[in-house]
Amino acid sequence: MSADDEENASELKIGDEFLKAKCLMNCEVALILDRRLEQLQQMSDDPTSQMSQVFERSHQYVKRFSRYKNQDAVKQVREILSRNRLAEYELCVLGNLCPETVEEAIAMVPSLKTKGRALEDDAIEKMLNDLSLIKKFE
Amino acid sequence: MVFLEVEMQGNVVVPPDQLDPKGLLLRKGIVLRLLEDIASRKASKEHGYYIAVTTLNSVSEGRVQELTGNVVFPVSFNCITLKPCKGEILMGTVDKVLRHGVFLKSGPIDNIFLSEKKMEDYKFNVVDEPMFVNDKQQSKMAKSSMVRYKVLGIKWMEWDRGFQMLATLAGDFLGPI
Repeated sequence: MSADDEENASELKIGDEFLKAKCLMNCEVALILDRRLEQLQQMSDDPTSQMSQVFERSHQYVKRFSRYKNQDAVKQVREILSRNRLAEYELCVLGNLCPETVEEAIAMVPSLKTKGRALEDDAIEKMLNDLSLIKKFE
Repeated sequence: MVFLEVEMQGNVVVPPDQLDPKGLLLRKGIVLRLLEDIASRKASKEHGYYIAVTTLNSVSEGRVQELTGNVVFPVSFNCITLKPCKGEILMGTVDKVLRHGVFLKSGPIDNIFLSEKKMEDYKFNVVDEPMFVNDKQQSKMAKSSMVRYKVLGIKWMEWDRGFQMLATLAGDFLGPI
């Protein structure tokens, strides 16, 4: 992609790689990195040598900012979000930012309301309610 | 932050003293070498930050380099990457507060600058420590506050092997959380 082709996440104009590859939410990455850390500790005598600064800082970040901690909750979040025909990218933004109202969700992911595929407010609200239930019962 | 799991191809170079007649140890050597390579590569302009290798999908036939005796194995693996995107809404923590704006950090990305011009409701103030305060909403940003912001621009810095970003709070539902 060239530098000035107006990449803009809010209109879902994002790089091809986001559409082809699998997108992951903070909470999913947190689980993967937790496991990776355990593996590294078993595999090598000096786990810090294989752990880059990028790894460490990403790990801290996802632990701090992920709203769902246990594995079942994370799975349910993805399931609920994927019922709504969202792009992978949109799904992850919603799962990460956990908006509480329909207006907030649209502000976070404006492409929810772009032409042709507009989700009904009711559908968005139901989705947000389902998500907040998971958080409550976790 | 939206992470990606991407399949990549690469070469892993194994020096002769790490070759072992037992195949299992060789595989372990390849994995360790790959992890090390990725850890030291940090980031690239096209993929963004390399965070962790998740699986080693396949290892092809190795080729011996004649001069060194190293064996080069073409491998295919999955890696978690992170590439920030213009217009994306992210969360970060305040790293430094200056008179003309704040520096934020989001995971591996530092050097995220939020200029005072991009948060006009917030005014610089020093009470016990430097901070930006919004009187109307009674919210403030000081060191290690968490902030939700929008990415205004991104620049790849080759010398640093990382990205620099500009942030803005112009938009609904943005600001300290």
